[in-house]
Amino acid sequence: MTAIRLSVYRYQPDRDAESRPAASDAKPFMQTFEVEAPPGMMLREALLAIKAQDETFAFRHSCGEGVCGSDGVNLNGTNCLACITPIAELNQPIQVRPLPGRPVIRDLVVDMTQFYEQYRAVEPYLIRKDPLPEQEIRQSPEDRDKLDGLYECILCGCCSTACPSFWWNPDKFHGPAALLQSWRFLADSRDQATEERLDALEGPYKLFRCHSIMNCVEVCPKGLNPTRAIGKIKELMLEQSV
Amino acid sequence: MSRRASGLKAWLVQRISAVYLALFGLYLALYFAFAPPQDHAQLAAWAGSPWVALGLLVFIPLLLAHAWVGIRDVLIDYVKPLGLRVGLLALFALMFLASGLWALQALILVQVG
Repeated sequence: MTAIRLSVYRYQPDRDAESRPAASDAKPFMQTFEVEAPPGMMLREALLAIKAQDETFAFRHSCGEGVCGSDGVNLNGTNCLACITPIAELNQPIQVRPLPGRPVIRDLVVDMTQFYEQYRAVEPYLIRKDPLPEQEIRQSPEDRDKLDGLYECILCGCCSTACPSFWWNPDKFHGPAALLQSWRFLADSRDQATEERLDALEGPYKLFRCHSIMNCVEVCPKGLNPTRAIGKIKELMLEQSV
Repeated sequence: MSRRASGLKAWLVQRISAVYLALFGLYLALYFAFAPPQDHAQLAAWAGSPWVALGLLVFIPLLLAHAWVGIRDVLIDYVKPLGLRVGLLALFALMFLASGLWALQALILVQVG
């Protein structure tokens, strides 16, 4: 077993503000830890080892196998899911920071409220105008295939927090994760609110802040392509308006 | 541009103008690289020839429209205070308008002179 050095972001705005009267005194800093790294160790396990050394260190995690999307962090400058990212090959000391552009609650734990608000804004559920059938709404295998590459999103937030457009306008731009879900329902043959969905995306902000920077594609731990989905939305919008 | 049309239309203007700018820009680059005019008279004759004049006449408004969408994107992204943003937008709008009219005047002068 080899020892690995990690430098993690530490910041406790609440406690620091309490112990020191001037809130401006509360400053983030990087703290270096050394942990034993068995072969195949994932970043999440290293963070757990750090927590064993210093229990005040905070980060989110849950399933440990890339399904729940809780442990998105910024590793050596790139967003990733800690639980499925091996650390053996990385440059040391490994720099672990919270997802960029989000307010820090404590250490690696960030406030994702705006991210979820943008997700909610695209109405990520089937909308039917016809009366609901007695049983299921049928869909052909070909139509079902159109949802591949869209439904797999676990909402970890790696993409949106890597997107400069989302950094500048997180209150107005939906961001790649929400727009991928917007296309997921636009592309669904069972959904009947295409026009309303497209109308809701008009204007310079919600959709059109995307400048195809493609950070989202680069960091998505599920290998999805929000930029392509955004392109499809623009195409459909064009098709419906000329 | 209305608020409703400011997304899709701006994006479309940007994409379509980009195609023309790329093609005509390539022609300009090749022309000035391989057969550049030797003096002002040659330049004026080139700019006054019907096809080039037509090409330039289309090029100028498309270039300005493309630049307008681009600068508007930059200002929307980075400049938050409303007054400053509107001021800068107005400044660029005036600058682009002046540049366009100036270029148009030059083209007309080449034709009549």
